[in-house]
Amino acid sequence: MLDGLSMLGNGLVHFLTPLSLFNIAWATLLGIIIGALPGLTATMGVALLVTLTYKMAPDQAILCLMCLYSGAIYGGSRTAILLSIPGTPASAATTLDGHPLALQGKAGMAMGLATTSSTLGTLVGIVALALIAPLLAEAALRFGTYEFFWLALFGVIISGQLTAIDDPLKGYIAGILGLLVAMVGMETLHAHQRFTFGIPALGGGIDLIPAMVGAFGFAEILGVMKRSAQARIVSAGDRVVPPLSEVFRYKWTTLRSGIIGTFVGIVPGVGEDVGAWASYAAAKRTSKEKHLFGKGSQEGLIAAETGNSAVVPGAMIPTLTLALPGSASAAVLIAAMFIHGIRPGPLLMTENPEFLYQIVAILFFSTIAILVFGLTLTKPLLTVLSVPRERLMAVVYVLCVVGSFAITQRMFDVYVMLGFGIVGFILREMKYPMAPLVLGIILGDLLDLNLRRGLMLTNGDPSPFFTRPISAVICLIIVVTILMSIPAVNRRVRALFTRKRGGVEAQG
Amino acid sequence: MTTEPAPLPSDDDINPAMIRADLLAGLVFIVLGVAIFYGAWTMDRLEVRRIHPLTVPGLVPGILSAALTLCGAILSLRSLRAPAEQGWQTLGQALFSGAAGRAMAVMALALIYTLGLVGTLPFWAATAIFVFCFIMVFECWLATPRRPLMPSLFWALGLSITVSAIVTLVFQRAFLVRLP
Repeated sequence: MLDGLSMLGNGLVHFLTPLSLFNIAWATLLGIIIGALPGLTATMGVALLVTLTYKMAPDQAILCLMCLYSGAIYGGSRTAILLSIPGTPASAATTLDGHPLALQGKAGMAMGLATTSSTLGTLVGIVALALIAPLLAEAALRFGTYEFFWLALFGVIISGQLTAIDDPLKGYIAGILGLLVAMVGMETLHAHQRFTFGIPALGGGIDLIPAMVGAFGFAEILGVMKRSAQARIVSAGDRVVPPLSEVFRYKWTTLRSGIIGTFVGIVPGVGEDVGAWASYAAAKRTSKEKHLFGKGSQEGLIAAETGNSAVVPGAMIPTLTLALPGSASAAVLIAAMFIHGIRPGPLLMTENPEFLYQIVAILFFSTIAILVFGLTLTKPLLTVLSVPRERLMAVVYVLCVVGSFAITQRMFDVYVMLGFGIVGFILREMKYPMAPLVLGIILGDLLDLNLRRGLMLTNGDPSPFFTRPISAVICLIIVVTILMSIPAVNRRVRALFTRKRGGVEAQG
Repeated sequence: MTTEPAPLPSDDDINPAMIRADLLAGLVFIVLGVAIFYGAWTMDRLEVRRIHPLTVPGLVPGILSAALTLCGAILSLRSLRAPAEQGWQTLGQALFSGAAGRAMAVMALALIYTLGLVGTLPFWAATAIFVFCFIMVFECWLATPRRPLMPSLFWALGLSITVSAIVTLVFQRAFLVRLP
């Protein structure tokens, strides 16, 4: 405990240098701008910035990426409130009450509340990260090859289930496609080339960054340019700094949303949008002002913004301790960490324990930066939103090309970006979520290696996958998740519970 | 600044076109799954190295391809059973709509830039041409309503020169990336 506090103190002091503070400021501001611009997502921003951090020291590179990540998740609320278009998918729930508030002439107040809620949400997540991550890392040391196989499968399944709530089948298909992409190239157990079709560039497999820049960048450009109309901005003439009484009026909503967001973050590959929706739904269920939800409820806005911001530190918990990304942006962060020589996973707390607390410190500083920028730069940020998308998207595509090329300096990666962009756009148009696809690419190797290694250790006997306690529990969760996504099973289970409850009530 | 945002088309509803698109996608996944299963089945089993048959490189791709085929079959069957009046017509209309045209225009510009210009011309020149054409096409041709020619021309020229210069200088000089 004292070790943790001491390392946290060291982490905070480590970043109290002029260079670090300068990096925090520009990266957070850039993140807010990226999040505010419709069509530019946090994942896309992080993926593009990775290419600009190659020459930086590892701690400064991760600092810039984390600040941009949290800034972008917050920045999405600007457009959600002013244009009724979520700047990032994470802000979709914010539009429900944020925009009606803006139409009532309370745009400044809505943006101020969004800022303070994001700050408080991140703080709840930061506390959880500092407390839970070391414990989880310690528990993860007991995980073996069998548990890691199930964990990889669990990540893809749960991500597929939760990111495509209306149609989990499409989420599963996206996850399987991602896992199949990960099968391309040299496998790690016997060093055998798979599905390379004699193309030397495929020998090393499909790189994550070009694939993500394509799926989240180029596909997003296609999606944005497809629309014919660009929404216009509502003015923000009222006060931006909300009174403290308004901020603390919904303290329990804030706390509950922060906790929900953090736990959604811990679930691999689910992400900020689910965090926001889950928090919003919980707030609506328990609110005394249910009738205001969707018509300009401050409580709804606070719940959505606290929920999505709390996911950011929450997502770092499995990312750092299990190397399982908690969100799509965290997936790019894992790739960036590997590029900078940091190995996330169960051994992180043994090999580099200070790093976890440095992440906590980074998130703390970025939260402060968000609060400052959010409350002071509202009006200058409005001018950024007036940039026509025709001009912006041309520049973004150039960055997608350069970003994909810069990693290994080969055109093959640019072709990968193009391919993933076009396929990703078609899949998105047909309502296939991208998060399970990306998670599949990341976890494919972990799943493949651990399944076959486990079978090799037991000489082909699969029983340890089902009999070891942790394996059995994760396996059971996966089976229940899949069964519950089948409408007929789901209906019967629900009917069973309703009947039982009805019976108990009748007896009472 | 105005107080009324322009309405944007909502595409959240499940429509007949989507049901038909799901049918086509399901069939594609079945074909893809079967092809990958064939690739996994015929993959080298490394008998010479006497590895266990359950640890062959084709094991996981085989399982995944079977899962993809199954999911594709469920998707196809579900789409066949769902009512979709005039689904094919709606899908056809969506594929030849203005929105699809704009997406195709972006794809065409991106493909010409990436596969044609980059590598053939110096990077700065290719980038300047792409940015200029992108802005002109989407502001003066595909925009509704179309923007006046002269301001767009001014912006397209200015932005194309600025972007190509900044991107080239930043990546080539500051980050030492050898641009294509």
